[in-house]
Parts: sequence; structure tokens; C-alpha cells
Amino acid sequence: MKMFSAIVATVFAAIWQVTVAPLFPAWGVTFDFLLLTLVVMTAFGSPQRAMVCTPVAAVAYGFLANREPGLILLAYLPLLPLGFYLEGARVPLNHYARTALVLAATGAWARLLFVLASVVGGADATPGLVLVHVILPGAFLDLALLSMVYVPLRLLGWSGQGMSLSRGGYYSSL
Amino acid sequence: MLIFQRYQWWVASMIGLALFLALAGQVGVLSPFQGVFLRITSPVESVLNGVFRPVASVLSNAGEIGDLRDENDRLRLENEELRNQVGELQQNAEDIKGLRDALSLTQGDQSVQYVAADIVHRDASPFTDVVTINRGSGDGIQVGMVVVSTKGTLMGKVTKVTATSSFVRLITDTQSTVSAEILGTGADGSVKGTPNRGLAFELAQGDIQVGDQIVTAGLGGGYPRGLPIGRVATVTGTSQDLYKKVTVEPGVRIGTAENVLVRTDFIPESLGLGD
Repeated sequence: MKMFSAIVATVFAAIWQVTVAPLFPAWGVTFDFLLLTLVVMTAFGSPQRAMVCTPVAAVAYGFLANREPGLILLAYLPLLPLGFYLEGARVPLNHYARTALVLAATGAWARLLFVLASVVGGADATPGLVLVHVILPGAFLDLALLSMVYVPLRLLGWSGQGMSLSRGGYYSSL
Repeated sequence: MLIFQRYQWWVASMIGLALFLALAGQVGVLSPFQGVFLRITSPVESVLNGVFRPVASVLSNAGEIGDLRDENDRLRLENEELRNQVGELQQNAEDIKGLRDALSLTQGDQSVQYVAADIVHRDASPFTDVVTINRGSGDGIQVGMVVVSTKGTLMGKVTKVTATSSFVRLITDTQSTVSAEILGTGADGSVKGTPNRGLAFELAQGDIQVGDQIVTAGLGGGYPRGLPIGRVATVTGTSQDLYKKVTVEPGVRIGTAENVLVRTDFIPESLGLGD
């Protein structure tokens, strides 16, 4: 049931991403609500749900925005391994900082990948322009939104979970 | 590598799935599923649009700045209409002077047919500007058809069609290129989308002045000739420059448009140019 709810929430987030997010742009970029949903799902739920919902998010967003679902899947792919790495490498960061770092890094990678796809399609882009007009404002916007979501969730009593899979992988905690 | 431990099979599966999706998308296997998905999700989109568009509108029109913006919107519409009328008159004057080919094109414009559509959502980023409209193949929409504003200014081109909706790449998308010319002088070049959803007039030679009207040139068969695009906003460069840097102010506020017209009488030639 929780998995089904997570999938429905992911599809809703994809609809939100193409319907509502573009209405509230800041510095020329829109927040990545879909990625935020996946990150929050991982940080407060379980990695298993994010493992299923990441491809669902890619297909839903791809269909709605007429983008390549495969490209979106690759864009969101670092989320789980990066979260796992930050935990496993015992980087001295608290749960919020780890979540924020995962969101910012995955968001930067996703936006970079989308820009590269545009460049392949004929767009002109310079590294400086991409950094100043895409990566930095996007990361700032995503982190601001995460802070707005994270604090209320903790106040509601949601406890931060680890992003590591137990031994046995996906089936270990089912 | 530590980063892939325990996730390695998942990462490998996802890369495989991404490749499969890319291949399936290329051969068109996903299109029927996409059509069904869009049909299922459209009621939710309508509700979200109904709720949040007014909120966004209220926020953007807040306070005194909002009043000025309203007035600006109204003046822009009037201005666009007047510019388009001037453009049409100048076009007609040129035709009357003896350009028989152009005359025949103008006569052809009398059979122009449009389908009105609402923009239901958009995929906007600094490098991408694609909107989805609520008309599809069931309404006679085909890939390549030209999309204009309600006042007739060029907005983009249909890139994909499902049964009930279509995707339109706007001219401000960085992958969009339109062959264009300065009205009156005939200086031609290409109008390209720039990052942050702007427009530039590239590869244009000749005497280009701020305020000059830019219309489609019709070269390449991707767009009909004479559609208004916008006006020259800035011209930078010296007389020594082969090409000056020209920015274009669109004739319509593309980012906030809610309704568009799809020109159904114009089927582009498949030359792979000017699109």
C-alpha cells in the first residue's frame, strides 16, 4: 500500500512539475519538484520506494513534457548511490545536510544533462552561462524548497531514515 | 567502488532501462502509451491549472507594480496588433509594387485556417521552452504545423501530436531556428532562441535599426512567409563587423500566453530546413 501511495505521489509530482512549477519561476529557472519528491521519499521513507519510483518519475515526466524518459532516468540516477556513499563514507554531516547535498548534486547533474541534450539538439551554451544561469540558481531554488519542506516534516514527527540498502539489497527490508 | 555497492544491480538495471526507453522512443513504441497517459492525467492538470494560474497571476500583479504590468499588458496587445497591421500593410505595399511571387503568396493567405487551443502546461528551463496544447490529431493537428498567438504573431511549431494533445516548441527554445527577414529592407537571417528564453537575429547583414519589424522569410519551407515575429530590440557591433549582434523582442508575451492558434492550412515542406 505504501509503495502504491509512493507511485501515485510520484505521478502527481510529475504533473505538478509541468503544471505548477513553471508558473513560479525564479531567476529564469523552475524548481525541480519531482526530484525533491524522490529525495524526500528516500530521506524519510525507504530507498526501496525510491528505487521503484525513480523510473516511474522518469516515464511520467517524459510523457508529460515530451522529453526522453531515458534521459530523465539517467538524470535522477545518482540520487540513491550518492546518498548511500555519503552515509557509507562516514562524511560528518547530519541528516539535513546529507539530504541537501544529495538534492543539490543530483539536481546539478540533472540540469547539466538536460543542457547537454539541448546542446546536442543545436543550442548554444557556454560553461559559464550554464553555471550562472542554470546550475547555481537551480540548486539555490531546490535547497530553499527543501528547507521549506524538511522542517515541517520533522516537526510533524517524521524521522530521517538512512539511504543505505541493507545487505541483501532491495529484498532485504521488504 | 563504494558508491555502487548494493546499488550496483539497480544502477545497471536503470541504465539498461534508459537505453530501452531511448530506443522505444525513437521507434515510436511509447507514443500510444503517452497518449493514454496524457488523457488520464489531463483532468488533474486542469484542476491544478484552475487553482494555481490565478494565484500566480495575483502574485505577479501584486501592488502598484501589478497595475503598471496590467497596463503594460494591454498596451503590448494593442501594440502587437498595430505592428501586425503595419506589417501587413507594408507587405501588401511591397507586393503591389510588382513582386508577383509575393503577391501570389499573399493571395494564398486568404484561405488561412486556424484551430484555437489552450496551453495546458509548459516545460520551461533556460534552454528549453516547450508547451502542451489541448488539441491533437483528432482536431486535425499535424507535426510541423505553425502556432501563432491570438493576434497572429509566430509562437512556435508543433513537434509531436497525440490524439488529444500536442507539443509545441516555442521560438524561444534554444533548439528553434526560423528563417526571417527585416520587413522593408529584405535583410534576411535566422531568428534563434537564446538561453533564458530570449530571441536573437543571427547571420543578418545590412542596415538593421532598433525597432525594425522582423517577419518570417519562408525559406526552407518550414514556415509561411510574412508571419510577424517581433521587432529589433538592440543592435551591437561596429560597421566593420560582418554580422552584428541583434536581439529581438517578441511581438507577443510568449511566457504568459494562455491561448494559441494552430494554423492547419499550412503543411511544411520536408526539407529539414528552417525548423
